[in-house]
Amino acid sequence: MPALRGNLLVGLTLAVVTLPQAIAFSTTLAGLPPHFGIYAAIWGVLFTALLNPSRVFSGGPNTTMSAAIGITLLPVAPPFGADYIGYALTLILLAGLIQMMFVLIRPLGRMLDLINEPIINGLICGIGLFLIFKSLTGFAGLPINTEVEWPLWIAWQSFLAVLEIGNLYAIQIGLITLITSLVVRQIRPLRNWAILIGVAAGTAYSEYLNSTIGLRNTMIEQIANLSSVGFVFPSLPLFSQEAMSDIISILPGAVTLALLGLFQTVAAMRRMNRKLGDYTDSRKGIFADAVSNCLLPFLSSLPTCASFNRMWLVYRLGGDSRVASAISALILLLMVLFLADLIAIIPMPAMAAIIMLLGANMINWEDIKPHFKDRRETVVFLASFLSVLFLDLFGAVIVGSVLAIAYSKWEQAHPDISRNGNVLKIRGNIYYGSLPVIESTYHDVIDREGSAVIDFSECYYIDQEGIRWLAAAKAAEKASFADRRRNENRRELERREAADRKRVSGRRRGRRDRRRRSEF
Amino acid sequence: MAALPAKLLRVALIVSVLGGLYWLALDKHAERDALRQASVELTAACSAKLQGYALTPGELYRSPYLLKTTGRSSRLRGYSEEDVRAIQRGCNIVDDTQGQLARGGARERWNATRYSRSSHASCDQCHQGVGDKQDAAGNRLVGSNGLAASWVMADMYDRFTGLLLPYELRQMQCYINSSNGFKPNAAEDLIRDVTAYSRFLAAALDLKVGNHYPEQGMDEIPASATLRRGDDYVRGAHVYRQRCATCHGLQALGTVVQGRVLYPALAGPESFSLDSRMNFARMNTVMPGFICRNMPLGEEGSLDNQQCRDIAYYLSTLPRPAGDKQGPLAAAWQQLMMTVMPPLTQYADSLGSNDTPLAPD
Repeated sequence: MPALRGNLLVGLTLAVVTLPQAIAFSTTLAGLPPHFGIYAAIWGVLFTALLNPSRVFSGGPNTTMSAAIGITLLPVAPPFGADYIGYALTLILLAGLIQMMFVLIRPLGRMLDLINEPIINGLICGIGLFLIFKSLTGFAGLPINTEVEWPLWIAWQSFLAVLEIGNLYAIQIGLITLITSLVVRQIRPLRNWAILIGVAAGTAYSEYLNSTIGLRNTMIEQIANLSSVGFVFPSLPLFSQEAMSDIISILPGAVTLALLGLFQTVAAMRRMNRKLGDYTDSRKGIFADAVSNCLLPFLSSLPTCASFNRMWLVYRLGGDSRVASAISALILLLMVLFLADLIAIIPMPAMAAIIMLLGANMINWEDIKPHFKDRRETVVFLASFLSVLFLDLFGAVIVGSVLAIAYSKWEQAHPDISRNGNVLKIRGNIYYGSLPVIESTYHDVIDREGSAVIDFSECYYIDQEGIRWLAAAKAAEKASFADRRRNENRRELERREAADRKRVSGRRRGRRDRRRRSEF
Repeated sequence: MAALPAKLLRVALIVSVLGGLYWLALDKHAERDALRQASVELTAACSAKLQGYALTPGELYRSPYLLKTTGRSSRLRGYSEEDVRAIQRGCNIVDDTQGQLARGGARERWNATRYSRSSHASCDQCHQGVGDKQDAAGNRLVGSNGLAASWVMADMYDRFTGLLLPYELRQMQCYINSSNGFKPNAAEDLIRDVTAYSRFLAAALDLKVGNHYPEQGMDEIPASATLRRGDDYVRGAHVYRQRCATCHGLQALGTVVQGRVLYPALAGPESFSLDSRMNFARMNTVMPGFICRNMPLGEEGSLDNQQCRDIAYYLSTLPRPAGDKQGPLAAAWQQLMMTVMPPLTQYADSLGSNDTPLAPD
């Protein structure tokens, strides 16, 4: 069984890559106990592997979704508390239900395909930068402020705080983690293990500090004890009468969470499809995500969505992701059961360093570079990037969606109209969005030439409003229509036009009109 | 293997940048430590206050205030030199947040100006008497926002959000709203020193943790505490001109003499924000309470409840900075109003012949 052995190796690598990320996401980003991330890496990965038929799809905990949870809930309840956990589960369930709507309402799911690469990359770069700022306080062992820290100015303040009042031991641990993983990543065989080795180095240094100086003096925060965690950890979302007002207030957060997950899943599936050269319907990815996110809050887990990095990893190692993911989930389960004591001593600054590293990885120049070749893509990319930095996450997602629609409509709203005498040749769509452009040229021609011939030969879509406008133009008796696809010769048409004009004074005006309208 | 040196170079670059930042952090930490070790030059008010409470390093602390008011003598654990310096710095920050009285400027106040967009704001303006306002007989005054009484409330729950607000978080809210600024980190020396000072005051005044004392917070004045004629900003403007404008100015923009804030702005860019609970339009009981109990300086209690509400109403109609949570649109609008309104009102005032004279009638 060489295939199984190969998948075993891929699964192990996947588990090793996911574990430190999962812990870092849940503790430093989402403000939840570490087992949330680990269970997302177990159950989230397993569910999506079972539900998604794609060969390279890999789900699991995700940076932006975890950050969205933290940002949404910090104003609602103190992190790591019972209330906070309850709200987090509710939030995830709501997000899952919203995603389910995208499955049930087919056009809504189709709308996600409008999110193009520059928008996604803009969001991802912005969030990457945000994650670096966000983890600064954790990196220096400073208390996390309980209010949301969006504005860049506050990020600058916390940077100064790190320099001036940061815990130097924490900074040392963080730096060791950061530099170790950076260096190890350059060594090809150890590439996938870089983060794990970094965390191990950070933990080792923290243990050294503990033995020489003592935890009491270094005041380094560590991941709490995981020994109470077992095979499954059932949980219930919080839906009590008193919590209702807060649940209503986190609804925008749920929408953000749902959309962020779907954006990434759809974008990652699209990108992997093109890399692989085959096709898996992204609707199946949406379905897998929605079902998983409805189930995960009952298993105390973070929400899941596609992780492009891990999908790329599986693809590069040549694994079958469904088998490999299942194996990695199994390995992680064993890790939780047997390595809980080791996980418990990981210092928080090391986790913050990991988040910084992942944040920096999200800003990938190779992905961004093509967007600067086209002006329209540049604008969309920059708008979506800046909206993350200057608005909140909800605002950024809304801006992204609006941009997506605007971007896709902009092209259609500017049909290519060529003028030749009084002949207007329209290449593109005639619909409410493009009508103003067509009308302005049309009236220009009418003013100059007195009449116009509209050539539909390369026109592929006319909506109802367009038809009404054309009918009105026809009724005004200044326009005539031509379509070469119907074997109508323009010259022939002009001749007929002249003949018609001769007949205009005649009595059969009404009938001629009827005949003309039947032309299209 | 041409890629290898480039790779090495990149890693070396990142590592050296990180190393540089670490070196910078060491440098800044050393600077902070030097400031922590340096002896503190007290402002006049702080010097009087701390001397009156006999703050000196030692094994035991005995409060002269307690001895004087109750005849009891207290035996509390004393303060180390480090503690005393922290308390002194805290007192300085409360008295002179902007560092206008300090020789070293804002640096001696832990750069509190960094967290304040208002160049007038100082804790002392609301927490009067360096956070411990007393009458001549040494009675603590009701609704005077005492820091000691606030400290012994320890962990309060916010009235509206129900969130737990430890003392440090409440201080952050002061920076955000009252000084229209940014919150410092909870571990910042700025916060710690003011906490140390408040804690010392609580020890000196013998306040007990968990108790509520009448000098804590504002003595709020709801509409029900008036004859219910309704609040009127025309009446408020009238009273403001008579009683407040001599110090705070006709436009309520404060009085600054030779770079020192004598009386703070109550409106305009240097005042508290729209999000502040001092803003009558947001919380219509707080500002009247503050005015009635603490204003005008030296004549406290001379305004009746309705007058206080009217003044507060009037002040809420003047332009002031928007809160950060209100978004860029509100901020732009308020900025426009703050720029345009003062000259306009000045012009309108200069036209008016039936204008109220500044002198009390």
